[in-house]
Amino acid sequence: MTPRQRLHAWFASRGWKPFAFQEEVWRAYLNGESGLIHAATGTGKTYAAWLGPLMEAMAERKIERNPPLRVLWITPLRALVADTENALKAALDGLDIPWRLESRTGDTKASVRERQKKRLPTALVTTPESLSIFLSRTDARTMFSDLRLVIVDEWHELQGTKRGVLTELALARLRHWQPNVRTWGLSATIGNLDTAMATLMGNSPSHRRLVRGLVPKSIVIDSLVPEEMELFPWAGHLGVNMLPQVLSAIEEGATSLVFTNTRSQAEIWYQAILDVRPDWAGEIAIHHGSLARKTRDFVEDALRKGTVRCVVCTSSLDLGVDFTPVDRVLQIGSPKGVARLLQRAGRSGHRPGVLSRVTCVPTHAFELVEAAAARDAVQAGLVEGRFPVERPLDLLSQWSITIAMGGGFEADAFFEEVRSTNAYANLTRAEWQWVIEFITHGGEALRAYPEFARVKLQDGRYIISNGQIARRHLLSTGTIVSDSALDVRYLTGGRLGTIEEGFIARLRPGDRFAFSGKILEFVRVREMTAWVRKSKAANGAIPSWQGSRMPLSSELSEAVRARLDQALRGIYEGPEMEAIRPVLETQANISMIPARNEFLIERIETRDGHHLFFYPFDGRLVHEGLAALLAYRIAELEPITFSMAINDYGFELLAPTAADLEGALAAHILSPENLAEDIPASLNAVELARRQFREIARVAGLTFTGFPGQNKTTRQLQASSGLLFDVFMRYDSTNLLIDQAHREVLEQQLEGSRLGRTLERLSRSRLVIRDVSRFSPLSFPLVIDRSRNRLSSEKLSDRIKRMSAR
Amino acid sequence: MIEISLQDEALQLYPERAIYWKRKSTLLIADTHWGKAATMRSAGLPIPGGTTTADLNRLTGLVHQTEAHRIVLLGDAIHARAGRAPKTLAAVAEWRASHRELELVLVRGNHDAFAGDPPTELNIHCWNAPVIEAPFVFQHFPAPSEFGYALAGHTHPAVKVRGRAGEAARLPCFLFTPTCGTLPAFGSLTGCAIVKPERGDRVYGIADGEVLPID
Repeated sequence: MTPRQRLHAWFASRGWKPFAFQEEVWRAYLNGESGLIHAATGTGKTYAAWLGPLMEAMAERKIERNPPLRVLWITPLRALVADTENALKAALDGLDIPWRLESRTGDTKASVRERQKKRLPTALVTTPESLSIFLSRTDARTMFSDLRLVIVDEWHELQGTKRGVLTELALARLRHWQPNVRTWGLSATIGNLDTAMATLMGNSPSHRRLVRGLVPKSIVIDSLVPEEMELFPWAGHLGVNMLPQVLSAIEEGATSLVFTNTRSQAEIWYQAILDVRPDWAGEIAIHHGSLARKTRDFVEDALRKGTVRCVVCTSSLDLGVDFTPVDRVLQIGSPKGVARLLQRAGRSGHRPGVLSRVTCVPTHAFELVEAAAARDAVQAGLVEGRFPVERPLDLLSQWSITIAMGGGFEADAFFEEVRSTNAYANLTRAEWQWVIEFITHGGEALRAYPEFARVKLQDGRYIISNGQIARRHLLSTGTIVSDSALDVRYLTGGRLGTIEEGFIARLRPGDRFAFSGKILEFVRVREMTAWVRKSKAANGAIPSWQGSRMPLSSELSEAVRARLDQALRGIYEGPEMEAIRPVLETQANISMIPARNEFLIERIETRDGHHLFFYPFDGRLVHEGLAALLAYRIAELEPITFSMAINDYGFELLAPTAADLEGALAAHILSPENLAEDIPASLNAVELARRQFREIARVAGLTFTGFPGQNKTTRQLQASSGLLFDVFMRYDSTNLLIDQAHREVLEQQLEGSRLGRTLERLSRSRLVIRDVSRFSPLSFPLVIDRSRNRLSSEKLSDRIKRMSAR
Repeated sequence: MIEISLQDEALQLYPERAIYWKRKSTLLIADTHWGKAATMRSAGLPIPGGTTTADLNRLTGLVHQTEAHRIVLLGDAIHARAGRAPKTLAAVAEWRASHRELELVLVRGNHDAFAGDPPTELNIHCWNAPVIEAPFVFQHFPAPSEFGYALAGHTHPAVKVRGRAGEAARLPCFLFTPTCGTLPAFGSLTGCAIVKPERGDRVYGIADGEVLPID
């Protein structure tokens, strides 16, 4: 039998038939091509990528037993590793190929690590971080000498992040050693697949092919419409008032997934469901990224088997793992983006003849508009793209140290290698020189400190200076930054997960909090662990986790504006719009519904101060930048102090004194000109760059989270990244990491180009100022938002005097 | 600068984070944490230099302004053993050489226990707490003392001031409870901890080079 026949026979034995796209990928692989396969989850992408090298093996005269590493499988999530391994293993067994298949992540057992030190398996499933640890070994090149294929799973998820850049760098290294290595990426269908291809391939010469997997079946998006509509929607009200309808939806299905946007929300909903249906204890579960691995594995397993009625989860269940039994998906709160809603919808309907369906549960009235708008966008085929990170120097510093450990590098050759990635294609000589100086003696400002050196030059190669630095470097490899997290453990020993220090710090012994779906009593903190015991109480405080809040995407924002424009013209189409009609009419009565070409500003004075509400409807990140920019420009005209609240529809500038809005508008505060100077200045003013520096400081190795179990000895090394930012600004202001903080805030945080486009649009819009007598439904969620940025052009001492004069 | 009366003594609070006790010609500071940046550098963290020198310059300014004869440092002089870098110690020694006539006293704190006393050439008297100088007691840890009104450091206090419209600001501060006064940390590469003043406490925040009473 030819390899192809054997493959077909194995498929037939399982009752399958290869899809055309799978055959296409196998042929392309054998032909030496690389490529990107895009399709929804659970449609056979895994075997499309995996079986090519197996056919290659079967074509050998005698199939070699456990040959050296040939296939590297990179996955963004540790949670996906076990499932991937099982799927790959099934094919090896079915086709009788004697390859060793192993995985390597932070969780891998010491004995397996030891074995892998001596010899790698033929196929290895790993994460970008674990891969870079392999590449820090001096014998890395030999270990990867027979590598034929790198598969990057869920590439769309990686490509917009620094982890994606880390993957690009690793790929460049592997290609540098092994120019013929092929790369195949697996991705969901996103709006910018050409960019996804470019970032994955870098400037590798191999032919690249874009393969479209199975075309998704049609998807149903509907909403649970509240029976009674509150006229003043609360953001953060969390919509638990929709609970009865959510419960009946869960009852309709056999297995439901209830997606929430944050971990806190997941805890709240889990408790709320259990409160009403205590009889469901044991049948419902909770899943999010801060829970112990064991708990999550247990829940995922139950989902696969269909032994659970409902799982309340976060984006932790967005990816990978195929849960065939799931037949009902609910989305609590804003879907934020079209791609994300499609992904979640795709978690259901894996049985023949069943549609994928997602039901949106609004947590406030305007989210009904978003659900209707998302349906419009899906119909119009508008899906968001993922935009890659450009030349992050913090990561390049980290990577250069990794490679300095892995045998070292020669400056010019390595510069070329790094530039072969898409992320660093525009890296300049000067920037590269800066990185070298930064890792060899800490940069210009540290020239005077010869004792400080992480990397040294020896015989023309840059190598790591000592073992202590190497060990510490390995511990801080990676780009995931979390607030210092504490383990949560029972006094009796079981581990429940992790929780942020900031939350625990507010608790006193005896206080209760909800975590992992349980009510716990806080006992004490010792050695980076929060010790707890089970509580019999019915409720407790809900922990909060820092995490970036996703903005409403441009695509969805645009669709929302279109829906509001219709409402203005009296068109309320579909159940969602019908339901929200009274709210929008109230908005029209108190203030107005802005038309698509109008920019609404509401103004009101209350006991709290002078409020200005701006409604560009363009997503919270753009609004964050715009709020800072406008506040900054107004504050340039007169001494004033603003606090800012931001959501996806608009933002509020609140000041203790009245701003001269008309005068400021006449002075062109909305002008798209001088953005290059005004934006960085406004970002400094609200300390956004200072905040962004936290991640950069961590990735570049400026802060050190410590050796596991040795927390005491690293205490004296702690300084907050904010303090470091100030020190750098003062003593080393030309440090490119400071530059990078500004660039990152602008490009990622504020979606720089989107901000410019918004200003262009606003400057063409008709400006309408409404002096309102009470808060409008649109302004209400902003009024009650407590997390605020601040900007002031008053002297701090004057502010303090004004504040204490009250 | 602002002058307050404490235990019937006149004390001047300086925005450079120091107290001047005029009757005794004594400047009080706390928590200099010399060599903190050096400590971090020695661990491979590339922190720019210059912080210790900048702090010493600030101290020089204070000495000139007050014409103090003596400085009492309320603990945590050197940040850590690794902070005893040649450059850092040389900077401190150079500063000492140009202020030979000053009497220097260190009341040891928790960091000093590990980092060790400053080098003897610096001619700093190092004492264990409490150092009694009626009506005050100098010590590192803020706590009531049976020997008098305590003046201490250690906590790096800061106060949060709130205003209308959600406005708030965080200021390093001097905190005086009925039994103990705490100075803000003198070192600039030090964090601070928010204190919540209770009834009867007096708090003075530092903003823009001014010391401001906070209600």
